[in-house]
Amino acid sequence: MASKPARWDLEVDVVAVGSGLGAICSAIVAHDLDQQVVVLEKAPKLGGLCAYGGGEVFVPNNHKMAEIGATDSDEAGRQYLDFLSAGFADPKLLGKLLDNARPAVEYFEKEAGVKWIAVAGLPDYYYPEAPGTHPGGRYLSVDLFEGSQLGEWQHKTYLTPHIPLGVLHRELYAWGGLAKVTEWDYELIAERITNDQRSSGPGMMGYFIKAAMIDRGIPAYVETPVRELITENGRVIGVRAERAGQDFFVGARRGVVLAIGGYDMNKEMARQYEAMPDWNSAAPPYLDGDHMVMGGEVGAAVAAVPPTNLAMFFGYNIPGEEHDGKPLYRTSWECGCPHAIWVNRAGKRFCDEAFYKDYQPRVRMWDGQNQEMPNYPPFLIFDQNYRDRYPLGSFMPGTELPEELVKQANTPRELAEKLGIDGEQLEATLERYNRFAEKGEDPDFGSGSHPWSVRLTGDESYPNPCVGPLNKSPYYGLRLVPVGVGINSHGLRTNAHAQVMHVRSNPIPGLYAVGNSAALLDLGGGYQSGTSNMRAITWGYLAGQHLGRKA
Amino acid sequence: MAETEYSTMARLSVDTIWDFVKEMDNWAPLLTGYQAHEKQSETDSLWTVKGDVGVLARVVKFKVHITEWNGPERVSFELEGVNELLKGQGVFIMQPYEEEPAGAASAQRKNVFTRVVESLLRFFLRLFRGRPERAAASAAGPGEGWAQLTFKLRIDPGGPMAPMINAMMKPAMEVVAEDLSNRIIAQLEAQQGSKA
Repeated sequence: MASKPARWDLEVDVVAVGSGLGAICSAIVAHDLDQQVVVLEKAPKLGGLCAYGGGEVFVPNNHKMAEIGATDSDEAGRQYLDFLSAGFADPKLLGKLLDNARPAVEYFEKEAGVKWIAVAGLPDYYYPEAPGTHPGGRYLSVDLFEGSQLGEWQHKTYLTPHIPLGVLHRELYAWGGLAKVTEWDYELIAERITNDQRSSGPGMMGYFIKAAMIDRGIPAYVETPVRELITENGRVIGVRAERAGQDFFVGARRGVVLAIGGYDMNKEMARQYEAMPDWNSAAPPYLDGDHMVMGGEVGAAVAAVPPTNLAMFFGYNIPGEEHDGKPLYRTSWECGCPHAIWVNRAGKRFCDEAFYKDYQPRVRMWDGQNQEMPNYPPFLIFDQNYRDRYPLGSFMPGTELPEELVKQANTPRELAEKLGIDGEQLEATLERYNRFAEKGEDPDFGSGSHPWSVRLTGDESYPNPCVGPLNKSPYYGLRLVPVGVGINSHGLRTNAHAQVMHVRSNPIPGLYAVGNSAALLDLGGGYQSGTSNMRAITWGYLAGQHLGRKA
Repeated sequence: MAETEYSTMARLSVDTIWDFVKEMDNWAPLLTGYQAHEKQSETDSLWTVKGDVGVLARVVKFKVHITEWNGPERVSFELEGVNELLKGQGVFIMQPYEEEPAGAASAQRKNVFTRVVESLLRFFLRLFRGRPERAAASAAGPGEGWAQLTFKLRIDPGGPMAPMINAMMKPAMEVVAEDLSNRIIAQLEAQQGSKA
């Protein structure tokens, strides 16, 4: 570990490591409490994981729900998060998260100018069955953000390659969701791209980065990876970063906030912690698990939640698609549309393909008799009905699919041969699936039974928006791979002030972790869209408050 | 439709530029994102290029068909996407430098502010993207013995997303056209320099 340098290259009160939502929130609040703050970012641009996402913040009983005529209660929100946690959450952390999520988003609206909008009509994942669920309004997103307000940072902030830029949530659903992507208003989207009007994750990060870097003048250094924490008498007092290949020592009089996401890009760490044979990611290619390494060096405790219920997807890399020089992996949402299913190597369906919370643990299922994962890898199967209507990733109907990625055949059996799966069983699977699909039914796995799935990917012109027969040749198939979204099962253990805990259960003075660098003990065994951003904002807000408290 | 045009000048003869441009093997690797090309006939070729549309890079395969082979002044072509819904046209125009009529020069003077802003923008684009600057072209001239190379490119994406693709491609295309023209000239200038 590096020792304290004779002289700091820069000395501030607070060093925020990373430039995603958690880092920027902690920087803003600490600054507002009279702390001198600097942001150090490894990537060449600001924005982190949030800038790659859909920009939803899940806040039960939030202050914007009334504007869309929705009502909610703290108690209902608590019941739902308790349900999600499945007994694996630390009640103290869960309570603190719930109690502070609404004050945090209100703070950033008032003090940072974030224009929140409650998303109408998008239900909780487990609505309506689970206790405390809500039909729509708990997700907050942001109004359009004008990129020109970012000044020098306008072209040094990440934009997501996963979602068309400039589409508001209410528009996405009014235009028919992901199933109707060919019918969206692309003239309007083009106008917004040309004018750099940002929505979703990039829009949200736009507001926060403007508030931090432009309005408050908080300095940010990109391409400045933090390599080591520097301690003195057990307290974290600064960091050794690198700038242009040279050491860059930054002193932190009050503390260092680790907010650098998870470890998706660290193949070895991901394989060990996530217990999957392979791991890829849709996240920005800088989530290297540095927090785990640096935290470990100062005795930080690592904590985990069950990996079976996280935000983990399956998907693919379109050959040649890259971001920042690394392969870009896309999560597969095709299976939520009609005329598409998943099968395993045996040619059998095994899950509700439209609801990723169902498919993920089923792919992980372990067969102890044969010492294998019978449902891994999953194969996406679809037919010409699908290709006539829906895209595959960025390939619209009518375009040629790359042979390296997608196999094509005139019959299911021939397709199975090309994919290396059981052809006879695939035929039988399609025969049974189609028999019920004609009537819009899926008695085996209940695809289309979750209103959330229907809203997101379903085609509401079908009796069952997520189900349609596969009976039009040619047939298509591809092998899917695990694709994380930067939200991992392991992270640094933190307390109710976002301080990192030592393996001996005391907080490490001067060290904080927020966002996906902190273990998800506040959520436990469950996940719901928008809770990652909710955690980043809330714990960033709390870390900033703790750093700015009067001594 | 995304359309761009870029002209550059050099102390080179039109014939020198034409000799280089007429053989696509010479300049193909100078195209930004170039990965491969395959000649299929005198007029047809298949290209593979990694295109950068700001938020991601993507490999695009397209067929090129030469529609006009009129050396040493002009070569025109059409292109059509293989794995993308897109069509387009392009043209290289080579012509000797001529003094501009007084009116045109005056019109340009009126736009001096615009031109300064444009060159500043180009400078920052290069800084941001780390691309090399051509030193020779700006050293002196233009004047007698100089020629101008103009590259025009127009691409029409198809399908429902066409307006969005257009908006995303436009800034990238401007850079591609400028880079290709400058790289061709830079290579010829270097060759000429080494001969001298």
